[in-house]
Amino acid sequence: MRVLVVEDEVRLANNIAEALRQRCGFAVDCAENGTDGAALTEFKHYDLLLLDLMLPGLDGLSIVRQVRRRKDMTPILILTARDQPAQVVELLNAGADDYLAKPFDLGELLARAMALIRRGKGAAQPVLTVGRISLNTVEQTVRCAGELIDLSPTEYRLLEYLIFRPRAIVSARELLEHLYDYNWQHHSNVIEAHISNLRKKLRAVGEETSIVTLRGRGYRLEAPERQL
Amino acid sequence: MKSAAIKTHSLSRQLIGGVLLAEMLCAALFSAAAIGHEMHGRRRAFDVMLHGFADSLLGAVRDAEDPEDNVAVDPTELVLPPQDVYEVLSPSGRVLGHSPGSSAALLAELGAPHAPGYFNFTFNREHYRALRFDGVRVIDREENGGVRRPVTVLYAGPTRFLWHEAVEAVQFYLVASALLLAVTGIALVWFLRRRLSPLQELAAIAGRVSARSWEFVPPATVLRTTELAPIALSMEELLKGLQLAFERQRRLTGDAAHELKTSIAVLKSSLQLLSMVPRTAEQYEAGLEGLLLDSERMEELVSRMLTLARLEEAPVELSESCELQSIVCDVAERLRPLAELKQVVLGVSVEESCVVAMPAGDAALFEPARKRLAAQLPQPARLSPCAGAWWSHRAARSGSGRWHSRLRAASCLRAILPRRSLAQPG
Repeated sequence: MRVLVVEDEVRLANNIAEALRQRCGFAVDCAENGTDGAALTEFKHYDLLLLDLMLPGLDGLSIVRQVRRRKDMTPILILTARDQPAQVVELLNAGADDYLAKPFDLGELLARAMALIRRGKGAAQPVLTVGRISLNTVEQTVRCAGELIDLSPTEYRLLEYLIFRPRAIVSARELLEHLYDYNWQHHSNVIEAHISNLRKKLRAVGEETSIVTLRGRGYRLEAPERQL
Repeated sequence: MKSAAIKTHSLSRQLIGGVLLAEMLCAALFSAAAIGHEMHGRRRAFDVMLHGFADSLLGAVRDAEDPEDNVAVDPTELVLPPQDVYEVLSPSGRVLGHSPGSSAALLAELGAPHAPGYFNFTFNREHYRALRFDGVRVIDREENGGVRRPVTVLYAGPTRFLWHEAVEAVQFYLVASALLLAVTGIALVWFLRRRLSPLQELAAIAGRVSARSWEFVPPATVLRTTELAPIALSMEELLKGLQLAFERQRRLTGDAAHELKTSIAVLKSSLQLLSMVPRTAEQYEAGLEGLLLDSERMEELVSRMLTLARLEEAPVELSESCELQSIVCDVAERLRPLAELKQVVLGVSVEESCVVAMPAGDAALFEPARKRLAAQLPQPARLSPCAGAWWSHRAARSGSGRWHSRLRAASCLRAILPRRSLAQPG
């Protein structure tokens, strides 16, 4: 998953980004002002937008309005030092999904971020199941019929993204855009290599669910009909 | 609580009440004067009438044609009010004639000794006004000049009708006054209310002003009133100032809270990030260094806020001003040891004079800016639109080896509280 943090306080933005990377394994981009932040949201690469309310250039509320005006349904979590009810109501009415008042607990921020991403993908529970595979988004573990599968962070992120969209064709480009941040050099063969490893590890535990490669189109997570 | 205990009075009601009271008093006094004048006039007329009747009686004195050559009153040609009483006496006191039908007692009362002139008496609860005068009747003037016969005429008339007429006059005046009072009173109340409406409008608008609602727009009727216009304009000006001060205070508090909360969020998140996963000693060391920097930034922020709070508490006297150039020079001087340490040549060039409305003592406000510049050296920065500062770096690490820049005064002040806009009014 890829998250955009728009926060003018660089130290705070770095801390949030680092926590999202280390704890959730998300790819994170940071913008120091509202104008840059608004420009980045236009690419629609993000699975979550984390916005500060008071920003130089363009404030958080205006970014929320811009995003929603484009019919972009990306979940938005607002970080604000002002938590008066009227302002919160205005934020939520403008299209923000949640807010967190400063100073916040980093653990709570991560939990809310994960929950928002999950809900944004249409999953209510933290444990996602396809076939015999169950993926715990909180523990970041994958089990096949109760047996733990040892995946690298990238393999986990790939599987998590595909599990959120079972049977849908996901292009390598989309995977790159959603799993890597802006500083990463995009190479589609990286995805191919990780998919290959993931397939091997799933087959090793006898899982019928397979990741099908559709040449020139992308990948699809397939599972027997009864198991979806 | 205290204001609730104060008994309030309506100025317009008092004014209307006062005017009506004055009008009533005026009407009462006028009525009393009119009644007095009426009574006096009627009494005089009555006296004249009495005198006229008495003169007529004197004219009715005739020769009695008796051997004693007496005179007598012949009232046959006289038309006198039937209720009147008269008596004509000779100098010896002999009755020459009297009103027919008058009782002896009444005539005796009339004939009681009185000085010549008007007098009053009461008989059988009836009040009379009487005239006694001594006259001379010349009998047979055609024959040898006539014979002079002195007589005393007593004439009285009841005053009952006089009082009755007076009461009628009083009633007329009272009713007329009451009617006039009612008509003028209604007109007065309407007029006063209409003319005092700007005062009531001003009071209503002023009553709606509160710490939450600052709207005070005096209506045109108030501004057109000579007495109220200065009050309304002063209030409007005062409230604008107060509203501005409140908004500034609220903004300052909001900004300060925002800055503090953000700084605390930085500190807290740094600590939580550090303890999120097990780390190496080097990572912990780096994390602690970061925390130290965070706490220093927070310390600087608190210092800025205190400075700003001091400014808010004691506003800058606009009458005082100082040369911005000297302040910039002072900042540069303080930076000089650090610049030398970093092998940076620091200089100040003055292009134009710039006088700012600020006491010279407040140059200390640039202390946070100085600290920021010290942290940025040899990074380019801006200091002033009027007085410029520049420095060059002797080391050729960056390639160019020289930076030149201007520092804006606004930037310096913004360094006190970065999010606070200095362009705010007031």
